[in-house]
Amino acid sequence: MNKKTPLLVLTSLVLSAGLLSACGSSETSPAAQPSTDKNVHFLYNFSTNSLDPHVDSSYVPLRAGITETLVRLDEENLTVAPWLAESWESEDGQHWTIDLRDDVTFQNGKPMTGESVKASLERALTESAAIQNALKIDKIEAEGDKLEITTTQPFPEFASELVNPNTAIIDVSEPDIVNKPIGTGPFKLTSFTPGSKLELDRYDEYWDGASPLDSVTFSFNEDANARTLALQSGQVDIVYRPEVESLESLKAIDGITVESTSTFRVHQMTMNMQRDSIKDLNVRRALDALIDRQGIVDTILLGYGESAIGPFLPSLPFAPTYDEAASQSGEEAAVNYLKEAGYTLQNGVMTKDGKPLQLTLLTYSARADLPLIAQVFQSDAKKIGIDVQIRQIDTPEDYMASNRDWDIATYSNLTAPRGDAGYYLNATYHPKGALNFSGSEDLELTAIIDELNLTVDPEKRAELAEKAANYVHDNVLNSFVLHPGTIVAYNGKKIKNWVTTRSEYYMITNKLDVM
Amino acid sequence: MFCILLRKFLEVFIFLLFIMFVSFLFIRLAPGDPVLTILNVDELSVSQEQVEAMREEMGFNDSLPVQFGNWLLDFIRLDFGVSYSTGQPVMQTLMRALPATAELTIGALLVMLAVAIPLGSLSALHRGSWIDRGSRLLSIVGAAVPSFWLGLILIDLFGVRFGNLPTMGRDGFVSLILPSLTLGLAISSVYVRLLRSSLLDSLSQEFVRSARARGLSEGRIFFLHAFRHSLPPVITVFGVSLGSLIGGVVVIEVLFAYPGIGKLVVDAIRQRDYPLIQGYILIMAVVVFFVNTAVDLSYRYLNPEMKLKEREAHR
Repeated sequence: MNKKTPLLVLTSLVLSAGLLSACGSSETSPAAQPSTDKNVHFLYNFSTNSLDPHVDSSYVPLRAGITETLVRLDEENLTVAPWLAESWESEDGQHWTIDLRDDVTFQNGKPMTGESVKASLERALTESAAIQNALKIDKIEAEGDKLEITTTQPFPEFASELVNPNTAIIDVSEPDIVNKPIGTGPFKLTSFTPGSKLELDRYDEYWDGASPLDSVTFSFNEDANARTLALQSGQVDIVYRPEVESLESLKAIDGITVESTSTFRVHQMTMNMQRDSIKDLNVRRALDALIDRQGIVDTILLGYGESAIGPFLPSLPFAPTYDEAASQSGEEAAVNYLKEAGYTLQNGVMTKDGKPLQLTLLTYSARADLPLIAQVFQSDAKKIGIDVQIRQIDTPEDYMASNRDWDIATYSNLTAPRGDAGYYLNATYHPKGALNFSGSEDLELTAIIDELNLTVDPEKRAELAEKAANYVHDNVLNSFVLHPGTIVAYNGKKIKNWVTTRSEYYMITNKLDVM
Repeated sequence: MFCILLRKFLEVFIFLLFIMFVSFLFIRLAPGDPVLTILNVDELSVSQEQVEAMREEMGFNDSLPVQFGNWLLDFIRLDFGVSYSTGQPVMQTLMRALPATAELTIGALLVMLAVAIPLGSLSALHRGSWIDRGSRLLSIVGAAVPSFWLGLILIDLFGVRFGNLPTMGRDGFVSLILPSLTLGLAISSVYVRLLRSSLLDSLSQEFVRSARARGLSEGRIFFLHAFRHSLPPVITVFGVSLGSLIGGVVVIEVLFAYPGIGKLVVDAIRQRDYPLIQGYILIMAVVVFFVNTAVDLSYRYLNPEMKLKEREAHR
């Protein structure tokens, strides 16, 4: 027994030496680059462990070009456009007729029919409580290439909700939807390593014209630094959200293209309307005036974003045009508003009735920009005598819903992810909304939202959404800071036809090509 | 030996129950619940009533003892539930990711051995020399450098500048090199110093002197006597530090997009995926238990004195 010990040690030494020498040898001899396939390697910033299109909240099957939805977001006009459905209509917002394309096949060769779409939608409803809530479907009937859908209540934004990647159409008769969903998109899955990557091959029979590429590798890495380095090393061709700090050095590399597009997301300051000081419109105006939007975009986002006045991206059809000259901003304006609210500056402290203006500002680190925005705001407020205490919380939705011991909060919201304002207005300003953290119960605004919820005509809907956005702005129910940008970097010498979309839904398409 | 194993297995049941109870309590007491994630409130319109209804349906409104009782019943039936985020059985999900982490841990251990054994031995044998001073400097630097930073430097060096080692994913042996190196180098600094001091202690023992007196060669003395004698403290620390090793794996797995169990649980914690977190804790408790048992048993093998003492105790 004793004699075995040195042997063991020796074995481990040899093994480990082997490992090290293996590193050495791999450094000098580059790994073999297989074949002359036209392949694109795309690196995404979220990973997923399941490819079930109806459940996976990272929407990878749609982003990777495996699945498609009935309707899509037209990125140019930011309206809902046909995709697997040719057209749709409803008189009352409750009874919907959807005409499907008749030339679509699943990646297993089976044709897409009304029945298969019905089965797919029904699976989405059973698998996902979120989709069940969002679609409000009562019953679906299929006949040929036509679908008749009835919702449980008049629901005019139904069509735009079908943009949601979790409503993607798949062949539900396939046995392993979690690991190998069969969709209608330009690429079919060949292998999936959960949490790591997908290998995809072109689907030759794709209805909208087969892709010029042979294959696509879609991998995940959640570390921004590592993503940037992966692009630099040439291991990947397109990187989603590289590290912002490294963009200058990336741009300096010959051939690398960096693109940025503003998203439907808004970073906002949520006002707690149940706090005495915040109830005063002039105080809210003062706080709004204090936010140095452009400064924040330039210093915190290094310019990759757009300062916001309202919740909606200005290019959306229902975004109001604000008269920037009319709204005052800056320290002086803030002081003036506070004066109107009855505050005076005493010994460098903003005071009313002997009480100093002290505010608690919530922020959370899940979105790295928000704590920085909070700090900038804190230091700007200090300059005019407002004492802002920053409190870091873990899960903002939970904390803000159950605690009312705060005045303002940094928060980030998607405002029109599917090209319709209904979601954001209902969630954030309707008294019943799950994200109504400001506790706003404004009868006038609620009436506008209720009317919107019953309005089918798109133009009338846009008008009402604009009215609601204007109301929020006039009453400073919340303050809006910026629309962060989505940054994508890619090898411009190789990649052709890449489009950085605002919806962030459509990434791998049949148009993507290599030089 | 059999008695020890039997006793160990009895212990493990109580130990697991205790661990599961404590972790259950902590997870439920932490702020946040999975309902908001399940309903995807970030992107879909949901009313407060729907949130509340979902909470009720999932049993989060029940009292903690009731929730734990329900969970315990499932646990006894070996039903570990279904992940909230993927809808997949928890054990299946975890078992699919476990081999990747095991590979990475073994790779890191090999690197650690390759670094710690020669460096530790050389600095003990040449105490005070430049080798000793150099190794001390290396281990101080090694302990001070965060492993994710080391990982980024290695990616930059071996992924971008020289050669093209894969920096992401799990594609066979080559993709294991950089993460194993990162993790292995990060933990080896502790073991270099530990092995050195333990070896110095062994080398000063009586039996080394008597072995020299018997005319044994220095190499035989070192490997057959001193080295073996110096291992128990090192292995003890290893058993204890396994927890932190696994913690380190989490960071490395995220950095290298390595699809192991650590990365899985980070996602699970973020989404408050209770069944998956509980399952992870259970698996880790079992792993730590087996490692500790193996460490205990290895003492008896490495240090015959212990066996002797045990026999005396039984008499």
